[in-house]
Amino acid sequence: MMASKLTRTLRDNWLLILIFIGLLVFPHAVGWLTGSSPMGVPRGDRMIMRGESVRWQAVLIELFILSILAMSYNLMFGFTGVVSFGHALFFGVGGYVLGLALEYTQMETGTALVMGILGGVAICGILGLLIGLVSLRLRGVYFAIFTLAIAEMFFIYFGRLSLTRAEDGFSITDLPQWIDPAQNRLNYYYVALILFVLTFLFIRRLMNSPTGAVFKAVRENEDRAQSIGYNTLNYKLLAITLAGMMAAVAGMLQIILNKKVGPEILGITYTVDPLVMTIIGGIGTFTGPIIGTTGLHLLETVLREATITLGPIVIRVTDIWGVLLGGIFILVVMVFPQGVVGTWARWTARSAKSEPPA
Amino acid sequence: MFMNQNNIILETHGLRKEFGGLVAVDDVSVQIERGSTHSIIGPNGAGKTTFFNLLTGKHKPTRGSVIYKGEDITNLPVHRRAHNGIGRSFQITNIFPNLTVLENVRLAVQALEGVGFRFWRQTASYPDYTRRALDILERLGLAAVATKAATVLPHGGKRKLELAILLAAQPELLLLDEPTAGMASEQVPELMKIIEEIGAQGDKTIVMVEHNMNVVMGISDRITVMSSGQVLTEGTPAQIAADKMVQSVYLGELYDLPEA
Ligand SMILES: Nc1ncnc2c1ncn2[C@@H]1O[C@H](COP(=O)(O)OP(=O)(O)OP(=O)(O)O)[C@@H](O)[C@H]1O
Ligand SMILES: [Mg+2]
Repeated sequence: MMASKLTRTLRDNWLLILIFIGLLVFPHAVGWLTGSSPMGVPRGDRMIMRGESVRWQAVLIELFILSILAMSYNLMFGFTGVVSFGHALFFGVGGYVLGLALEYTQMETGTALVMGILGGVAICGILGLLIGLVSLRLRGVYFAIFTLAIAEMFFIYFGRLSLTRAEDGFSITDLPQWIDPAQNRLNYYYVALILFVLTFLFIRRLMNSPTGAVFKAVRENEDRAQSIGYNTLNYKLLAITLAGMMAAVAGMLQIILNKKVGPEILGITYTVDPLVMTIIGGIGTFTGPIIGTTGLHLLETVLREATITLGPIVIRVTDIWGVLLGGIFILVVMVFPQGVVGTWARWTARSAKSEPPA
Repeated sequence: MFMNQNNIILETHGLRKEFGGLVAVDDVSVQIERGSTHSIIGPNGAGKTTFFNLLTGKHKPTRGSVIYKGEDITNLPVHRRAHNGIGRSFQITNIFPNLTVLENVRLAVQALEGVGFRFWRQTASYPDYTRRALDILERLGLAAVATKAATVLPHGGKRKLELAILLAAQPELLLLDEPTAGMASEQVPELMKIIEEIGAQGDKTIVMVEHNMNVVMGISDRITVMSSGQVLTEGTPAQIAADKMVQSVYLGELYDLPEA
């Protein structure tokens, strides 16, 4: 019984398990291929984060962070049908709370870290709940505009708050050494990887539960969900609360990676990125947000240093990244109207003459 | 006419709904007897669907009240009324289009069982719900398409699914808004047979809006005729068929009233 359950799990998830193993060995594989150490370069009694392996670890950590953010957005947007334009709020508040706990309290570093994480997740959950309670009775676009306004308010507020050094933000210096990405990046890589995997598994489990079924029902037809007896407001509140808490975790990972907290983590980028990445990858699918994020993030990383030469004009790709992203977005949405994963599922279903995906 | 109060499952008192200047439902007072099949007929725009919306809580009445099983439910939200046993099917098909046919029905079973917040257990660990959903699909002849997305069903299939979702929630009071709307005429008897069976169970009360007069006359215990938001008359099928006023309301209308 147990054995058959295990073999079934392995058989159904072999690709995901392979990818996970790939991600586990990734820093070492890059190190081996490029002749660099996954731990960085020793100097005195410290490690300096130099070399291909640690550089790529940073790229992947950011990928995990943005994927968590996109997955959390997808839980609301893709699975429950709640359209928000204010997701950066949770990302940023999570980051600020942890940053404040680490730098502005007298707690011992380890305690500050734990308290900051718990506090940030709790605050973002409550914030999601409150925003939902106030505004979820508004339908569709009005709710979206409301969330945008709240997020922008926080962005402006923290951009002026002298306590947190306004626009400049403040640095994270007081961090337990074992997790410090400037000293022990490999550890931090595994922390981010595990949180990324846990988010994925949690959402998948949730969406295969009775609650997940109601989330989808709310997305598909809120009216009908009510008329068979669901208090749909409560389910939307749950979705926005959970999404807010997950986005907070992503924001915390981000400020530790950057070792800096500033108002940019509350900026519109962290609303638009998960939105665009989820749509490109496939809304309401498990892997869509990850695939969308991976595609765009790796593309951006590879192209960041590139230049385009048109006769005498030399354009740095970074400078026109926004325009490029827009172009890619339009192209992908035209080719894959349901996102990469959604459209792929539809194609394979059609060619197999079987049922469309559940 | 005297009716035993205990036998009344639903009654309305002066129920009224205005949309801006338009009076869609105009002081309607009706009583529905427990276990009966009660049809509501009337021309397009008579206010039948709006009346249903007031019963289910989708709309709040401008004034008047709705009493269900002796309790005033006028201000209860839609989902609470559903829990109390009021189920409804829609004139315009109202399903979960991108979920499978099975999921559509299982959602209603799950709502009845109140497990919507069990977020850690897996749907697969409730095989009983799946079996109950499949039983209902079997009964409506939809079992073969259980794993198809609801949206790909033909119109007739969607109408059946509409009814299946309602039945899965096991309501005591079924409000059927034109269950056969838009169905091919050869499919109508099959669906009506199922509705008749439910009515014959005795413990279910059916209130049905229907345009097909042959259906209405055959199945109803009582008929209420609405026009311009008001109750024109009420009676047994024989009384209604003989009513000259009812016939005049339908002059030029689509109905083909059988001879009394
Ligand atoms: N939400 C609404 N807002 C404004 N007017 C409405 C609304 N719903 C219904 N009406 C109007 O109320 C009147 C009654 O409509 P209703 O749909 O209840 O009629 P009906 O008897 O169900 O007709 P049909 O046989 O065509 O289904 C119509 O004039 C309609 O336009
Ligand atoms: Mg109607």
